[in-house]
Amino acid sequence: MPRVVRKLRNWTARILDLPQDVVLDLPRVTMIGGIQLTVENHRGVLHFSPESLRLAMEKGELEVTGQDLTIRNIGAEEVLVEGTITGVLLKR
Amino acid sequence: MKGNWFQYARGFVTVKLVSGDADAFLAEAVSKLELWDISYARDGKLVFRVSLADFFRMRPILRRARARTRIMERSGLPFQMARLSRRKTFAAGMLGFVFMLFLLSTLVWDVQVEGTERIPAEQIRQAARAEGIYPFQWSFRLQDPSQLAEKLALRLPGASWVGVVKTGTRITITVVESTKPEEKPLESPRDLIAKTDAVVTRIVAENGRPKVQRNDRVRKGDVLISGIVGEGDRTKMVVSKGEVRGLVWHEYRIVSPLTTKTKGFTGEAHNRSYLLIGNRALQISGYGHEPFAQSEVLSDLKRFRIGNWTLPLGKYIEEEKEVVFEERKLTEAEAKAAGLAQARKELLAASGKGAVIKAEKLLHEHTENGKVILNVLFEVEQSIAVERPIVQSVP
Repeated sequence: MPRVVRKLRNWTARILDLPQDVVLDLPRVTMIGGIQLTVENHRGVLHFSPESLRLAMEKGELEVTGQDLTIRNIGAEEVLVEGTITGVLLKR
Repeated sequence: MKGNWFQYARGFVTVKLVSGDADAFLAEAVSKLELWDISYARDGKLVFRVSLADFFRMRPILRRARARTRIMERSGLPFQMARLSRRKTFAAGMLGFVFMLFLLSTLVWDVQVEGTERIPAEQIRQAARAEGIYPFQWSFRLQDPSQLAEKLALRLPGASWVGVVKTGTRITITVVESTKPEEKPLESPRDLIAKTDAVVTRIVAENGRPKVQRNDRVRKGDVLISGIVGEGDRTKMVVSKGEVRGLVWHEYRIVSPLTTKTKGFTGEAHNRSYLLIGNRALQISGYGHEPFAQSEVLSDLKRFRIGNWTLPLGKYIEEEKEVVFEERKLTEAEAKAAGLAQARKELLAASGKGAVIKAEKLLHEHTENGKVILNVLFEVEQSIAVERPIVQSVP
């Protein structure tokens, strides 16, 4: 995203009091207990194993750690992970 | 999210990635295809589900990732249909069942007739049968109910309205019967003639020609109202009708006893009850009573029953009541009055409806052997007309 566009979006979000994720394509992570996790606005799967799931982000990546992880559903924008989730790590 | 039924309808397979780079495959497949339930099996191999259409599109991706797959499970409608097409008899049975159900529901199963009292239901059923309404008839062969009702009404002369209603497999025929006037018995031409010798006191002819007048003396067999009207050649025979009353004399010989015997209950009674088994009776109570000198026995039988079914068991009660006979002496006047009263009752009963005693005259009276013997003449006003058919003379 060009710098100008990003600045404009930032400004719009501030003025119109909009959530940042809607305007800036930031990942939105929703976790229910330690068993279910939804990540919106991902940019693809980098690595998947029963212990970890690494997802590409607009900037950097997101790692979900746990045991017996299962991708219940995956779409272009959204991932639903189930299993025993022990950690969510954001890397810039 | 798409509903599960949608995936089921399209068909999907559970695939195991036997060899190759799972991460490389996933990275590409996730962006191009639709995968779900992605996990690792116990042996460390990737397992996922993919729709049938996407499964075939997956091949180039697999080649690039140098992966091989094994299909673990096929689910969904397309596979079920394929399985069904292999089991032909089963499929035929399923279709056959649906077809039979449809076929049986198009039959008429029951014809009901409502609202009939005089017209027998069987007659209506027969008329309906002639119009094609009968059990196990095809519904589609029946005409429109309103047309059927019209045709049925034509076939049933005793019905003023017929309704036909079809609800599912049942046809209800409602009949409203026409009310008919009471039928009168046929009558043939007749005269009214005198029953006895009498003096006419009243004559009213409703039909026919009166031949006598008030205060005329008539003899037994005289024509009172003639059934032949008209003169000469222009005569016609009719059913004569009317009321003719006259004074008639009856002589009665009355014998009235001077002593009367009357029966009375003393109030003493014994009860005996029996148990009935079949046609045998076993006395249960009422033993040890002295028999009465004169008595009357009243009995009451009760059979046990359950609903409409009579059991071969019952209870039988006998009541023995003591009776005394009382003799009473009457004076001659009392005996005479009793005799006359009895005679009047008998006379009025014998003289028919509407008879009135106009006068009575004591002709003779004497007492012998403890009885009063009376000869009385009664003058009664009564109906004196009887019918006599007119027999046509053969020329």
